[in-house]
Amino acid sequence: MLELKNVYKSFGGLQAISDLSLSIKQGEIVSLIGPNGAGKTTVFNLITGVYRPDSGEVDFEGKSLKGLKPSAIVDRGVARTFQNLRLFTNLTVLENVLIPQHHRLRSNWFNAVLRTPGYLRQEREAHDRALEKLAFFGPRLMSFRLHQSVEVLSYANRRRTEMARAMATGAKLLLLDEPSAGMNPKETREITRIIRRMRDEGGYTILLVEHKMNLVKDISDRVVVLDYGRKLAEGSYHQVVNDPAVIEAYLGKRSDKDSAVARAQAADGMYADIDEPGSQA
Amino acid sequence: MSASKGPAPQGAPAKAATLSPAEAGYKPHYLLNRSRNTLLTLAGLALVAVILFFVDSSGGTKMQQVFALFAIWGIATVSLNLVNGVTGILSLGHHGFMLIGGYVTGLLILPQAARDNLSASARSSLSDFAIGLSVENWMRALGLDFLATPETLWARFLIAVFIGGLMAALFGIVVGFPSLRLRGDYLAIVTFAFGEAIRLLASTPMMASFTNGALGFAGVPSEFGKSVWWTFGLLSIAVFVMARLKYSSYGRALQGIREDEIAAEAMGVHTAYHKVLAFAISAFFAGVAGGLWVSWVGTARLDLFLFFLTFYFLVAISVGGTGSITGALIGTALVVWVRQYGDPLEQSYPLSTWVLALGCVLLAVALIAFLVRRHKRLKPVTGPVVLGPLVLGVLAVGFGLFGTEMTALQQSWQGFGMRAITLAILLIAIMILRPAGVMGRKEFSWAMLFRERLDEPTDEERRQDAWLSNAALAASLAGDDEEEDADENGGAV
Repeated sequence: MLELKNVYKSFGGLQAISDLSLSIKQGEIVSLIGPNGAGKTTVFNLITGVYRPDSGEVDFEGKSLKGLKPSAIVDRGVARTFQNLRLFTNLTVLENVLIPQHHRLRSNWFNAVLRTPGYLRQEREAHDRALEKLAFFGPRLMSFRLHQSVEVLSYANRRRTEMARAMATGAKLLLLDEPSAGMNPKETREITRIIRRMRDEGGYTILLVEHKMNLVKDISDRVVVLDYGRKLAEGSYHQVVNDPAVIEAYLGKRSDKDSAVARAQAADGMYADIDEPGSQA
Repeated sequence: MSASKGPAPQGAPAKAATLSPAEAGYKPHYLLNRSRNTLLTLAGLALVAVILFFVDSSGGTKMQQVFALFAIWGIATVSLNLVNGVTGILSLGHHGFMLIGGYVTGLLILPQAARDNLSASARSSLSDFAIGLSVENWMRALGLDFLATPETLWARFLIAVFIGGLMAALFGIVVGFPSLRLRGDYLAIVTFAFGEAIRLLASTPMMASFTNGALGFAGVPSEFGKSVWWTFGLLSIAVFVMARLKYSSYGRALQGIREDEIAAEAMGVHTAYHKVLAFAISAFFAGVAGGLWVSWVGTARLDLFLFFLTFYFLVAISVGGTGSITGALIGTALVVWVRQYGDPLEQSYPLSTWVLALGCVLLAVALIAFLVRRHKRLKPVTGPVVLGPLVLGVLAVGFGLFGTEMTALQQSWQGFGMRAITLAILLIAIMILRPAGVMGRKEFSWAMLFRERLDEPTDEERRQDAWLSNAALAASLAGDDEEEDADENGGAV
């Protein structure tokens, strides 16, 4: 579905991404992990058209995305969330989930002002679709919160709104940048299930950046590890975390004696900042 | 953890997770209490019409002029609000768009007598081509003679205003393009430069064949700009378009650009197109306002379109609330009122009168501060903000009333510039008390008047929400059969 071929990107003297190839098949959940500054978000920016790759190809469904504006890439069916929430803060939850549907509107502004039947029908459809997407997160955003401005929402609810907003664009491929950042363990486990449901029930293909390894372990079909803009490893979660190169990138080089310990730690889940209430019981 | 576990409370909805939009009972805001709101709107419009009728029939000339000016500037403010408030682009070139609309309208409806005078005058630099530009001539050429009679001047005026608006919109598109690359202050400077450039260009010999340079041209029919019906009619069209636009999908997209341009682009909003669109629509109505403004004055002159004009509109928007159409109109009313009825402020009075006036203002400040503090439940209600102005106000009123014998207070003093000072003080007060403006981002609506709020939970919704945020109970919400859930639920029962 998405195909990155030998993508390079540098910022001045800094080679942010070098020779990155990546392919995502329809219906997959792929996690992109790596230490801070590895270039994960840069990959997102390259796919969504915020940056233009220096060389290499970015293809989506067989057509190149290179040189398209971000809004045109959304038209093609790729949408994203942001690491540090970029919601429309002073607008309501409903408006936040309606704006991404604007690009599908087939009425010009004058018909919208006149509220022609065709425009009103599309508006109704947009409302229904907005609620359909918000329903993924249970009824919590659907009753009175629908009309609250995002400003007053809790952080977890803002994350949920942002994911609903990305879904509402009508994209087939969702790029989720740290979907569980700022969520407590309970909410993280809920978001894990929701991401899986987004794939199973919503039919979305998902590429996500995440630091919480428990989440990555639970939902990834495939994990791609980046370090210094290079692909370090790719494969199932267990393959990847046992890869010596990955362990080295995360924990530094060890002597042979220590590497067994490191591997054990890695298998337990590096960066496991989640307390599993279930495991305590 | 285990203490909080237990069966769901009685009030908890059983099928919360599978709530569909229809079950959630959702209705778009404009469908709630629709018939009541329509009736109230009609009643409100009728009330406005009655007021206008009385202003038109029995109000003095001055009052009619003030009402007309309010409507003209209202059109300009509401259109500036589309770019500045709704789309969030600080544009300072509105007077340029008004100038284009004003000159085009003025030239197109100039009566034949005024044209003859101009072509006979040695000082006129209007070209014969420009003097020939007349809707009247065009109507004759098209064979529509009934549209060239003095009785149908109104139709020609409408056509001229429309063409003026379109010309301004064309320039709006041109100004819109820098907005694709620039942001914030830089863009503000470009729009300001553009507005000034239009005015200066109009005074150059190159354009003087159309604008008659610094002299301008007099004799523009003023029965439209000074008529409350015409001005309020066009104002209502402007407000209608702006309100419908704001509450449409396009308006939401524009507000998205205001809130976060990068996010809007990432959510599929074609920001370049929408910014230029906002500029074009805004400039169109600015052009219409310009046409009415020239008609109100009766002359097309360059000094009608100074930057001050844009400044007044900006003040009106800031006072009323950035992004709010209602606020823009409230702000315009305030600005026009101070400007037009501010004459007594600039007269010469004995000092005791000034002191008395100052005392009254201070007492009003104390009263407002008292009411605000009581509303916010601040303790003590009579803080220094209340007591200070109160004491000073009582002293000043005392001096003003009983100090008339004092020679120092008998001198008279003329309040030059008091109008501007009053406006400035009002602005400062509003910025301190309500930084977001009188209306904030809100619009007037009947739901607001009846305090119908959709964002406040009903008791039922509150119960459901409490149930949802209960960690133990909400675990079953996702409704899938993971082991952890099974364990937890097993442990709880």
